[in-house]
Amino acid sequence: MERTVILEGKNISRWYQMGEVRVNALQETSFQVYAGEFIVVLGPSGSGKSTMLNAIGGMDKISAGELFYKDQALHKANERALTKYRRRAVGFVFQHYNLMSNLTALENVSLSVEIATNPLRPIDVLQEVGLADRADHFPSQMSGGEQQRVAIARAIAKNPELLLCDEPTGALDFSTGIQVLKLLRKFNTEYNKTVMVITHNASIAEMADRVFYMKDGKLIDIRVIPQPVSPEEVSW
Amino acid sequence: MLWRKLLRDLWSNKAAYFACLVVIVIGLMVYTSVAIVYENIVDAKNRFYFQQNFADGFARVQGMPLSEVDRLERVEGVQLLSARITKDVRVYDPDRQEGIYLRLISVNPEQASTVNHVRVIEGTALKANQDSILVDPAFFQANGLDLGSTITLIVEGKKVELVVAGTGQNPEFVYAMKTSHDLYPAPETFGIAYVPFDTMANMFQSKTLVNDIVFTLRDGYSYLQVEEQLKPLLNKYGLEYIIPREDQLSNVILTQEIASLGATVTTIPIVFLGIAAIVLYIMLRRMVEQQRGQIGTLKAFGYTGTEILFHYLAYGLILGLAGGIIGGLLGIALSYPITVLYQQFFALPDLQGQFSYRYLVFGILLSLAFSIVAAFQGSKGILRLQPAEAMRPAAPPAAKKILLERLPIIWSTLTVQGKMAMRNMFRNKLRSFFILLGIALSFSMMAVSVYFWDVGDLILTEQYTKVQVYDVKVSFATPILQKSAERELWKATGVKQVESMLEVPISLERYWLKKDVVLIGMPADASLYNVIDDNGEKVYLNDNGIYLSNSLADELQINIGSELSFKSPFTKDKTINTYVAGVISQNVGSYAYMKYDYMAELLGQGKIITSALLNINAGDIPLLKEQYLESPIIAGIEDKEQSMRQILELLASFSYTTWILVFFAGACGFAIIYSSSIISLSERQRELASLRVLGMSPKEVFEVLSFEQWVTSFVAMLIGIPLAFAMVAAMAQSIDTDLMSIPVVLAPSTFIYAAIGTIASILVAQYSVYQTINRLSLVDVLKERD
Repeated sequence: MERTVILEGKNISRWYQMGEVRVNALQETSFQVYAGEFIVVLGPSGSGKSTMLNAIGGMDKISAGELFYKDQALHKANERALTKYRRRAVGFVFQHYNLMSNLTALENVSLSVEIATNPLRPIDVLQEVGLADRADHFPSQMSGGEQQRVAIARAIAKNPELLLCDEPTGALDFSTGIQVLKLLRKFNTEYNKTVMVITHNASIAEMADRVFYMKDGKLIDIRVIPQPVSPEEVSW
Repeated sequence: MLWRKLLRDLWSNKAAYFACLVVIVIGLMVYTSVAIVYENIVDAKNRFYFQQNFADGFARVQGMPLSEVDRLERVEGVQLLSARITKDVRVYDPDRQEGIYLRLISVNPEQASTVNHVRVIEGTALKANQDSILVDPAFFQANGLDLGSTITLIVEGKKVELVVAGTGQNPEFVYAMKTSHDLYPAPETFGIAYVPFDTMANMFQSKTLVNDIVFTLRDGYSYLQVEEQLKPLLNKYGLEYIIPREDQLSNVILTQEIASLGATVTTIPIVFLGIAAIVLYIMLRRMVEQQRGQIGTLKAFGYTGTEILFHYLAYGLILGLAGGIIGGLLGIALSYPITVLYQQFFALPDLQGQFSYRYLVFGILLSLAFSIVAAFQGSKGILRLQPAEAMRPAAPPAAKKILLERLPIIWSTLTVQGKMAMRNMFRNKLRSFFILLGIALSFSMMAVSVYFWDVGDLILTEQYTKVQVYDVKVSFATPILQKSAERELWKATGVKQVESMLEVPISLERYWLKKDVVLIGMPADASLYNVIDDNGEKVYLNDNGIYLSNSLADELQINIGSELSFKSPFTKDKTINTYVAGVISQNVGSYAYMKYDYMAELLGQGKIITSALLNINAGDIPLLKEQYLESPIIAGIEDKEQSMRQILELLASFSYTTWILVFFAGACGFAIIYSSSIISLSERQRELASLRVLGMSPKEVFEVLSFEQWVTSFVAMLIGIPLAFAMVAAMAQSIDTDLMSIPVVLAPSTFIYAAIGTIASILVAQYSVYQTINRLSLVDVLKERD
């Protein structure tokens, strides 16, 4: 079966000028991501994982190289085009949820639906993440795991092609972490959407289709997992 | 080291602190400048009144022999008394269209101590029996006179030439208006001239008969005690009025102006400093919350709560000190041009701009007090924080449903951004309230500025299109018979209508209440001069009874139908009884009215009139003036168009003060919106950045903030409307006198202008906020949990 490339990076680099020092956060990295894949990006702190994810998510621009989403050249896109790209194609899940503190769970989900072109029904998505009964609660009235599930609901309700997650389980305990991973996998398989998860928790890698290993701003290895395990089997 | 932190914190929030500083500076600038001007004027007034021996009482009679003066001087309680001849005469100047008048006041050059002593400003003092005069400096300047030049007067039909020996000023004419009917002094067409007594006595047929008496009181005697004794002595000489200093025209206006300056000194700085204090409070409150980790660390090091509190108080200290110094110095600089402006209207020779350390120091202390109190209120929470607690991040801000959500009709129409904005407003109730208050104040200040810009026009338009609808008013030197006057005037070219008018000074009496006013008699079919009611509708006078202005009626505590009596020099001290037929509205002056026939009958002097109103072709006015230029019967010809033009020019020159006020109010609105946005922005940076990541454009994210501001501003403007009415009503109350009252009528256009101004300042503030959102670095904001 011919697989479609949804994302492609060619020799992408990102550096920051800090006074007189140039910090190379990402160096000449190339990769391809196929539609419907579940990818885990592994690496220690400062290895360039987040820099890569930010570039892919259209939140940051690369300093050199080429980065394509389908046939759209993200490295050439201006701020307006990037906004549009984030709006249509990308869903983001953060380590610290970043929910709007004065909106209820349902309203937080509705917020992203309002700007999407082909969204899912907010209450359905909340149902999917198992929080329909907490739709009326504010973030300050929910646990961390619940907040993260709302954040995922918010990201997938837009019905994006690409779901990018930066340490989604980083702030959660084991069992809530598993719940979150199950949701990500469900979105990946049932909706056939691409999911990229950044983590430094190596055991999560076992549920991926492919694993990107990063170190010192470089992609040093890509491993294909022939038989990904189900989220329930992941342990740490 | 903490100082370095402080400076860097100030620098990183420079825009918001700067906005706050601007408000302090404006407040202090207004305070210092107005306080200095106030002091200058009060000093100049007191010194001038004292040195020139300003009278405590003023009386006007028709004519009294000079020999009577001795008897008056002996009245118990009189310190010093001067009897003078006072006459208004026309200046002969064939080149000038308008009528120019001088009020001649006799002076006795040989008497060393007199009441209302004339101060020679320029030139030489007067000498007895010389044909020379001193004129007031404003008239001298406005008419381009030179020392030693000749001025030609028309006195009882004859031309009289007098030499201008110099300029002089007495405290009676600090604000020199011809009649209380006028709104402003017009030095081009009206001035004061001081003439040696003998010279003046020779000019008029009445010779040495004096008509004007001024006197000062001995210590321990009240004006009323003296008035009681003088009145019977003066009545037989046709007493027209006797008034205390408080009612003297020039003094009334000067006193009023000083009072309104005093009110400005106390209110304006409070408003501005209050707004600055609110902004500072909000900023520090937020900073303390944001820096709780740092505060905890400092406490853990061993810094005491008080030390840390002082650190935060220093923010207020720095802002208050900087604002106080800058505002104070700018205010001192501003006081000079304002003083110059006052010099143009108030002829106080001693009025000068002065440097004052005192108000600079006062201003700085005032500013410091406000800032430090605000800083303390904002940061006192530090004292309660425990180090361990402080180092933990604050609990996530709790949110709850707001009252508005119980109204699903409204709530469901809001977008999610709208809901966020509404909840946020109610989450920070105190802050929202302050912002609301600030914008409401800024809006109403703008409305009041616009109102004052409008009201001058309004009064003029009403006065000249509804009340004084004549083209020309001809005043007679002495009362003359109605028939012959009308017959004569009808002969003039271009005359379309002639109407008679009888103006007589009377003193109204009701129980112990007394009031000297001018009574105007108007023909039954009067159409050139109208009396109007509160709604601006013409009032048709009853055949009997007297009509009083609102302020007169208030002062005499009288209602329609009440009995009222009056005396007049025309009735030789006989008391005449009548009743109040109506109370009418009057913006300029304060007069009583009667139907002419009824009035002539009451006075018993036959069908006499004192002036006539004409409708005449504009092109024929110069001819009319020329024709009667030297007439002994006609004392003056007033061209309404011309008076109106003069006043409009004067009003236009005031307009820049309006603009300055509008600018100040706008700056305030800007500072509030800007600093509150900056605060919301830094407080909610993370939320807003997440919205950007979700795919919202900067504009959509900005709408979350701006929606909140528009809702607040809209409500604030609604509150500002009654606030503006209250402010205007309070000002109207303080202005309301016999001379002038201002209507509390705010046109919708006033509020539209104020709204435009407020919206403009909000837009400017929002633009800079929008720029900040546009520059928000998503990666940086989301990277670290603060």
